[in-house]
Amino acid sequence: MTDDMSVLQAARSSASPTLRPRGLGGRDYVVISAFALVILTMPMWILTIGGYEALATKIVIWGLFALGFDIMLGFTGYLSFGHAAFFGTAAYATGLSLKHLTPNLLPALGISIVTAVLIGGLIGVLSLRRSGIYFSILSLAFAEMLHAAALSIFQQYTGGDNGLTGLPLPMLFGLQMQGIAVFYVAAVLLIIGFAVAWKIKRAPFGLMLRAIKENPLRLEYAGINIWAYKMAAFMISTVYAGIAGFLMVVYQPYVATQYVHWSTSGEVVIMSVIGGVGTLVGPILGAGFMLYFENVVQAIIGEQWRLVLGFVFVCVVIFLPGGFVALGHTIWHRLGHLVRSRRRNVSDMETDSETSGRSSARAGAYTSGEHDAC
Amino acid sequence: MILPLLVPVNSVPTKWGYKAQSHPPLAPWRECWGSPWTEGVFVNAYILQFLTGLQLGAIYALIALGLTLIFGTLGVVNFAHGALYILAAYAAVLVATKIGFLWAVVLVPSALFCFGIVLERGLIRFFYSRPHTDQILVTFGLAMVNEEMLKWIFGASNIPFSLPRWGAGNTILYGLGVVVPAPIPGLRIPLPLVQGFIFYPTWRLLLILVAFCTVLGLFILLQFTRFGLVVRAGRREPEMLRFLGVNITQCFTVVFGLGCMIAGIAGVFGGPITQVSPGVGMALLVPSFLVVVIGGMGSLAGALVAAVMLGMALAFTAELAALQQIIIYLVAVVVLLVRPRGLFGQKGVFE
Repeated sequence: MTDDMSVLQAARSSASPTLRPRGLGGRDYVVISAFALVILTMPMWILTIGGYEALATKIVIWGLFALGFDIMLGFTGYLSFGHAAFFGTAAYATGLSLKHLTPNLLPALGISIVTAVLIGGLIGVLSLRRSGIYFSILSLAFAEMLHAAALSIFQQYTGGDNGLTGLPLPMLFGLQMQGIAVFYVAAVLLIIGFAVAWKIKRAPFGLMLRAIKENPLRLEYAGINIWAYKMAAFMISTVYAGIAGFLMVVYQPYVATQYVHWSTSGEVVIMSVIGGVGTLVGPILGAGFMLYFENVVQAIIGEQWRLVLGFVFVCVVIFLPGGFVALGHTIWHRLGHLVRSRRRNVSDMETDSETSGRSSARAGAYTSGEHDAC
Repeated sequence: MILPLLVPVNSVPTKWGYKAQSHPPLAPWRECWGSPWTEGVFVNAYILQFLTGLQLGAIYALIALGLTLIFGTLGVVNFAHGALYILAAYAAVLVATKIGFLWAVVLVPSALFCFGIVLERGLIRFFYSRPHTDQILVTFGLAMVNEEMLKWIFGASNIPFSLPRWGAGNTILYGLGVVVPAPIPGLRIPLPLVQGFIFYPTWRLLLILVAFCTVLGLFILLQFTRFGLVVRAGRREPEMLRFLGVNITQCFTVVFGLGCMIAGIAGVFGGPITQVSPGVGMALLVPSFLVVVIGGMGSLAGALVAAVMLGMALAFTAELAALQQIIIYLVAVVVLLVRPRGLFGQKGVFE
């Protein structure tokens, strides 16, 4: 029960959850509006820190992908190394729809979501039979299988190693999707995604997912079908990945084979972990950090940016399990006792056993809260 | 009669028997198996595919053995194992070009053994108490750092790994009673069933042999030494061993080192076959993980069987290129649907 204490604490500190689940209230609208304001003005403020407009679009797309990924990793505690499969197949579906069907965006969006859900359902049924490391390895393996299949069996549809090229410029209601228009489409989808994730986190469903992370055995003893919850979370996560894949093709009318490669899964893992798993802002922050690193910092430190990023990632995993979001919390945790008035609130004065005891009590509280709600 | 000549005079019939050490009697084989087998048209092709399957299985087995040894003993999922393999391959290229290949055979696995011990003491041991996801993440991070480091130093494309003189070229496998023309160079090995004679790269045969010796060595180490006894006991009841005053931590560190050493052996002998480029590590890791999962997490015998199985599956689908790309995943899906804990996985272990 000692696992993910810090993540839980980070979640607690950032979102100040109440134990009883509830719907969206006034404060939630404030948070979501503030988030929307920050995202929508990103093309303006990103210029001041050395970024550019297209970078904002990329951050928003990858932020959506990482947000969906975090519903699996942060909420449910399942580390998927196969999310590239959904991202990539949705991208291919979008590409094929744009190329052969219509340059209109809306059918492409529908088709890509359906494709991602179908693939996700298949992989989910196969790999969610197991948990923990098995799940990670199996999801990685099935995603690699899709990658291999895209390059061999489906070569005539996917364009093989060259990727899917020659796509028309996507249109939405007669408007060409270029530059800032793509950004606003992506930003709106991200804000919707954020609101949905926020709602999930506060809903009984979200509490259930966190309870699965804490103690699946106890839930099973309580007669709860945790497989259905896991599967539902996986499907939601898949839809996020699918929309992100769709947006990627809208942003750049070309499907690279790299989208289905495991390195894409690796990138989204890195983003979520660096930013902070189990939180909603964390993965988006992580996506922003990584893309900023890739596009802006690369100009300063040169080709070795991935090496530096790797070191940052390893350091975050070792020293800062809650990611950047938990950084403030960790500092407060360490230095909080220096502030006289806060002395009683410093939780690291507890012994380990007390902490873990409280953690399990908390998991129990979630479960019982759920029962009250039912 | 050839049989009595091949058996060493002083050999004692043991548990394994001296038959295992001797070659199968050549002439009796032919007599008792009859001629229809030796006269099949496709026999040569099948033998070549079988050898290729063994050779592919050998690489998978060497990597998967280390993975499953570390996982079964320490409970750590090492995503950096492919990185260790490719690190060893690069080190072998460097050592082989500077001071000769035989030195690489000695130095690189030893260096990786030490590296493994440093890695375990310096980093991995802090992750025993943390969730499995954190272990995966940190080893994944290490793999990424390793790959980028190699890219930085050696470039992203593969570097040539020249074979030593004695390992290059082909071996001639000839059927019984066939006379191989004298001018053809290469080692000659008689093999029943072969029609005429066929060529097979010597290095690949050597890899099979090395894998076999490594497996045998590991088996002897774990089964017949005191160290092996402690490790096997530690896999089941680490707490109990601690109570008995056994320094289990030290043993487990050595086991981690051993896992890395096997990856090192794989890198030295497998490097010339799999190419030496930074991306190879991760590319090999996925099939190796499948081998571990199919065989049952933590099971050494399972890893061996699954490795040979996947190798054979790859080799025998070579003519169907599209199928070959996904065959190992299909095998994995089928095995895991039928038997979710893997072929040799024990009930309740790491489930």
